[in-house]
Amino acid sequence: MSNWALALTYILPTIAIIISYRERLGLERDIIIGSIRAVIQLSIIGLILKFIFSLDNVFITSLILLIMVYNATLVAAKRGEKIVHAKRISFVSILLSLIITLGALILVKAISYTPGEAIPISGMVVGNSMIALGVLYKNLADSFFDRRDEVEVKLCLGAKPREAARGLIRNSIKLAMAPTVDSMKTMGIVQLPGMMTGLILAGTAPEIAIKYQIMVMFMITGSVTIAGFSASYWAYRSFFNDKAQLYDI
Amino acid sequence: MNIIECDKVAFVKNGNTILQNVSFVVGEGDIVGITGPSGSGKSSLLRLVNLLQSPTKGNIFYKGKNILDYNPMLLRREIGYVLQKPYIFAGTVYENLVYSYTVRNLQPDKAEMLAFMDKVNLTPDFLDKKRNEMSGGEQQRVAFVRSLLVKPEVLLLDEITAALDEANTEILENFIRQQTETKNITIIFITHNIEQLRRLAQNVICIKDGQIDFQGTAQKYFSSREQ
Ligand SMILES: Nc1ncnc2c1ncn2[C@@H]1O[C@H](COP(=O)(O)OP(=O)(O)OP(=O)(O)O)[C@@H](O)[C@H]1O
Ligand SMILES: [Mg+2]
Repeated sequence: MSNWALALTYILPTIAIIISYRERLGLERDIIIGSIRAVIQLSIIGLILKFIFSLDNVFITSLILLIMVYNATLVAAKRGEKIVHAKRISFVSILLSLIITLGALILVKAISYTPGEAIPISGMVVGNSMIALGVLYKNLADSFFDRRDEVEVKLCLGAKPREAARGLIRNSIKLAMAPTVDSMKTMGIVQLPGMMTGLILAGTAPEIAIKYQIMVMFMITGSVTIAGFSASYWAYRSFFNDKAQLYDI
Repeated sequence: MNIIECDKVAFVKNGNTILQNVSFVVGEGDIVGITGPSGSGKSSLLRLVNLLQSPTKGNIFYKGKNILDYNPMLLRREIGYVLQKPYIFAGTVYENLVYSYTVRNLQPDKAEMLAFMDKVNLTPDFLDKKRNEMSGGEQQRVAFVRSLLVKPEVLLLDEITAALDEANTEILENFIRQQTETKNITIIFITHNIEQLRRLAQNVICIKDGQIDFQGTAQKYFSSREQ
């Protein structure tokens, strides 16, 4: 694809801008800024990646992964305003899920810890964990509001906060995992995942692209589960005080 | 011996004073009736005794020790509380009753469940019912049995006969009386039903606007009302 052709594709957001203007959606500004930002951010990242790939330094690669996890943490924690220590919980949970899944893949030699492999794969994993945690926090806070009676009745019977909240915790993990599980089920039928599409477009043989896709899918499933589990069993505590009482929400 | 003692308890929520200067004692094995207008703070008081909330001021003692110094979970197993709104968990009645055992790490005892259910006029087939298959009064009785199965020493009952007919109210009252006689369980119950108060209560606490308006023996309460 030539740069000229790429530039011409800006026709498409332009259509969106025209529709938005005519229908008074008020999204013109956001679309213009958003598309320009995307171009700039991706270009910069492209340059940085090129540089980092050429360095092939373990510490720099790790640093990049940490920055990635940190950015994801900020986004996820925004959804967890009602959760105390949402940042700390998100950071540790996402990092933990990344270390375990990436570690497992490196251990079985599915991938190597080189920037070219670790960074794009981690990006997908961390991105999915981030979205899952956002869903989880929102759902957990909603559940503690909606199912307050249930939790209090259980407390009255002498349950520990963790037991009283178990149904809510499980439910929020489930909901956080649902998009991942659904997309795993429909993979190849409803959607050709972005990564695989990218590899194939760039000239990788489909059977190899598929292998990578399967691996990433499993990795995402594992990491979303680990992050969700860790975050929910940590986050539920912020709804209780030290006398095992529910805070007012 | 006094099993529960409230000393100048006040409870403030969002800047509203809900209870103020509430002091009373409850002897072991007593049956105490709490009454008073709607919104006067009766349920709020029981929530404090069960430690679902901590008092803003004052102290509550259980067996001579401040309830704040107990492990809240262990305290709540000793001071059971059947809430005004019975809440039956999703699942069957059996699963609800099992909770009272698992919470104490015990094996469920179906025979015991059935025996308690029988006492409150619930037939064995209720074990398989779900909450949407039961009336309000049936749910209230299930919630009552669920709390009793935890084997509390004190039981706080918040208008648990509100949805019951006369016959079932009487059955429940007799069962409550029998529990205090045979197991020396202390009962604190809330009611708007003056006849129930007359039938069941040995001592009466009347709350108005978050303060104690009357406390004393039932006899004294009714004679003061008649004047
Ligand atoms: N969660 C809450 N937040 C703020 N105020 C509350 C809350 N719960 C109860 N109140 C207020 O506290 C006061 C006492 O309520 P409480 O439920 O203790 O009354 P009650 O005596 O049990 O009434 P009823 O006989 O209707 O059950 C009421 O004015 C009520 O509006
Ligand atoms: Mg009440």
